[in-house]
Amino acid sequence: MRSDAGDGVLRAVIEEIKNQEDAMISPRLKVALAVSLFLAFSSGLAWAQMASKMDADSAAIKQCVAAWEDAWNRHDAHATAAAYVEDGEFSSTTGVPSHGSKELEAHYNEIFTTFLKDAHRTDTVRSIRFLTPEIASVDIDWQMTGARTRDGKDAPNRKGLLTWVVTKQRSGQWMITIYHESVF
Amino acid sequence: MASNHDTDTAAIKQFVANFADSWNSHDAHGVAMHYVEDGDFSSIKAEASHGRKELEDHYTTIFTTFLKNAHTTDTVRSIRFLAPNLASVDIDWLVTEPSAPGGVLRKGLLTWMLSKRNGQWMIVIYHEQSF
Repeated sequence: MRSDAGDGVLRAVIEEIKNQEDAMISPRLKVALAVSLFLAFSSGLAWAQMASKMDADSAAIKQCVAAWEDAWNRHDAHATAAAYVEDGEFSSTTGVPSHGSKELEAHYNEIFTTFLKDAHRTDTVRSIRFLTPEIASVDIDWQMTGARTRDGKDAPNRKGLLTWVVTKQRSGQWMITIYHESVF
Repeated sequence: MASNHDTDTAAIKQFVANFADSWNSHDAHGVAMHYVEDGDFSSIKAEASHGRKELEDHYTTIFTTFLKNAHTTDTVRSIRFLAPNLASVDIDWLVTEPSAPGGVLRKGLLTWMLSKRNGQWMIVIYHEQSF
């Protein structure tokens, strides 16, 4: 967008020069030309920098999802909980919450030693929407095999959507602030 | 800060109540206007609608078909401010419909991302889950 505007200004200046083909280029026009070239270049650069920063953040968010999935599949309750910020919030498929590192780790410990002890999940990022440069909403398709019912029988495979709010930490790392999951 | 949060909390609860009123009037345009221009909706099966036009079409469809006699009751469960103008809201959700078993068609949780624009809270992202 911005670089388009810069190009427009540049085109207008070139047009102006063409109109004065035989005339001497006035000092004022020289300044205008220099300023326009600078603006076109720097706004294009700012745009490119912003786009590449968002690409880098999208990649970092996908990495955060992949690392969490990996910790989950190792049934490592501590590492799974460590993907959340200190006061992170989890809400289950039935809206049952866990809040904060201690509760989160206890929650994962419980599911990994009971009905999900042989379960394996696959998580695929569907979309990322940046709400600010440091806050993003992420939709993730999930599937699970190997789950059991509460009384130990094989449960059918499950799938649904994870909807996370992730926040960028001072370290540059993205972490889970709010976790919601649905099954369908 | 605390009083700002109190004011915003009250405004968000009022906004959720207004949304439910529009929904219960089966006013597709009115419901869609609770979203920002490029708002995102995702259904219980994660079917997406994006932007006011698609949103209004979506609500027109549901209000003239399987939800034409439905009524929603939305109760704010929790609000978490992520920034002064950005809040995540969890809402307990109950949809009743005369022909549904026991009269209850849907029960679950709405999870919204709201943004304050020109002093007005609006939906940026709408997710819902049924259980």
